[in-house]
Amino acid sequence: MPSVTYIAASGATHTVDVPLGENVMRGALYNDIDGIIGECGGGLACATCHCYVDAAWTDKVGGPSSQDERDMLESAGAEVRPTSRLSCQIDMTPALDGLVVHLPETQF
Amino acid sequence: MPIDAANPVPPTYPRRVGMDQVPAHVPKDLIRSAGITFGPEFLAAPHAYMAGLHDTMPPIFYDVGPMGNAWQVLKHEDALHILRHPETFSNAGATPFPRDPDDYFYFIPQEIDPPHHRKYRNIVDPVFSPQGVLKLEGKVRKLANDLIDQFIDAGSCEFTEAYGRPLPVMVFLDIMGLPQAMRDTFVEWAMALLHSNDRATMAETMGKITAYLKSAIAEKKAQPDDGVVSLIAHAAPGGVPLSDKEVFGFVCFLFIGGLDTVFASMNNIWLYLAQNPAKVREMIADPDNINAQLEELLRVWSVTFSGRVLIQDVEMRGVQLKKDDRVTCVLPACNFDPEVFPNPREVDFHRPRKTTLAFTVGVHSCMGAHLARLEMKIALQEWLRRIPEFAVKPGTRIEYRPGGVVGPEAVPLVW
Repeated sequence: MPSVTYIAASGATHTVDVPLGENVMRGALYNDIDGIIGECGGGLACATCHCYVDAAWTDKVGGPSSQDERDMLESAGAEVRPTSRLSCQIDMTPALDGLVVHLPETQF
Repeated sequence: MPIDAANPVPPTYPRRVGMDQVPAHVPKDLIRSAGITFGPEFLAAPHAYMAGLHDTMPPIFYDVGPMGNAWQVLKHEDALHILRHPETFSNAGATPFPRDPDDYFYFIPQEIDPPHHRKYRNIVDPVFSPQGVLKLEGKVRKLANDLIDQFIDAGSCEFTEAYGRPLPVMVFLDIMGLPQAMRDTFVEWAMALLHSNDRATMAETMGKITAYLKSAIAEKKAQPDDGVVSLIAHAAPGGVPLSDKEVFGFVCFLFIGGLDTVFASMNNIWLYLAQNPAKVREMIADPDNINAQLEELLRVWSVTFSGRVLIQDVEMRGVQLKKDDRVTCVLPACNFDPEVFPNPREVDFHRPRKTTLAFTVGVHSCMGAHLARLEMKIALQEWLRRIPEFAVKPGTRIEYRPGGVVGPEAVPLVW
C-alpha cells in the first residue's frame, strides 16, 4: 500500500498508508491527522483540504486537475502557492508511493 | 464538556419561546419576528423572502417565534465562521426533533461535535464519497427512466408525487437496505416530523419511527447485508462495537436526513425550470456544464437551515451572543449574500465556483451531499432529455409547506 507523509505547519510529521484509489484528503481523515479538514467530503465544494505538494513531487502530482479546483483554491484560508492543491483531488496511484505534502497553517 | 455518545442524556439548554423569554442581553432593536419557515410572507415565496432579508433585517437579529427564540444569521461569512467553530457553536442539543426523555438518544453524527464526530463519519464516508456514490449511477438512471415511462405519455404529472418524491427515497432505501414496500409510509413519517410544525405530532411520529427502526436494526444484526443499516449495526471503530444507542441514533438520523431534503430540492428546482424555459434551453444546449448548472440551482434553491447552541459567550458584528443562546444560520439567505454572489438572485450557470451553503459547511457538512448531487444530476439529465419543454399547469397556485425543509406542496406540470 502506498504511503504518504504529511508535514504540518508546526513541523509535526506523519507517514501513513493510503490505499490505492483513495485520495490524499481521505488518508489524513482516516488517520486523524490534524491540518486537513475536508469538510465537503471531496466534492470540490470547499477548500479545506488544501496542501502544498513537496517540491520533489510536483512533477509527478501535477497542478490542479480542473477549473473547479482552481476556482476553489482561491477560497483557501492560507496563502495559495504554485504547489497548492486540494488534496481530495490527488488520487493515490503506485507512482505516488512516498508522496510528501505540507499542510498550511489554517484551512479557513 | 464533550458528550458521551454511548450514554445519551437530554440537553439542559433552556428552550426559550416567546417575547417574555428574551434574555436581558438581547438589545431591543435587534428583536424581530420574521416568521422564517411559517409566516405568511415567507410562505408566499420563501426564497425571494429569504433573499430579501439582506435588505429588510440586520445581518444578525434575534428572532422570537412559536417554535423557539434564536439569533438568525444572514451573512455568508458569519455562517462559515459559526459552522466551522464547533468549540463555540455546538450541535449538541441543537436538533429540533423531540425524543422520549426516558429513552433518549443522540442524532449521530449530527449532534456529536469533535473530537468524536470523525469516528462516526469514517464508518459511512466511503459509501457516501463521490467515488462511493458513483457506483449507483446506472441504478439511479434506470430508476429515473422507469419513473418517466410511467407518466410521459400522459403529457402531465404532479411532479412531487411522480418524480421528486419516489426517486430520492427509493435510492436512499436501497442504500440503507430498507424495504421499498415501506416507501410511502416512510415519506409520510418524514413529512409529519419535518413539516407539521406541531410538537405533539412530531413526538407521536418520532415514536412510530423509533419502533420501526429498532426492529429493522435487530433484523440486520441477526442477518447482515451490504446496506448501510447493517454497516452501522456491525461497526466497531477502533475495535469497539457501537452501543445500541449509537446504532439507533445513527440510523435514525440518516433516515430523517435522507427522505426529505433531495425531495424538496427537486421540487423547487423543477418549479423554477418550468417557469424559466430559457434556462432549460440553456442547460440542454450546454450538457457538459451540468455540474455547474446544478451547483447554481442548489445555491438559489437551498432548502434547509443550520442550528447551533452557544457553549461560550462570543461577539459577532458588535452583537453579544451568550452561552445557551441558540443561533440559526439561514443558509438559503446566506447563499443570496450579495457580497459573495454578485447579483445574487440571478441564476448564472457560469459563476466562478465558491463555497455555497446548500449542504452546510464545517465538520457537520452534509454527508449525503454527493449522493444528493448525483441523484439530482441524473434526474435532470434524464428529464431534460425526454421532456425538454414543460410548464406549470395553467391556473396553478403554488403553495409552500411550512417547516425546516423548504419546498412547494405540489408542482403540477404539463408538456
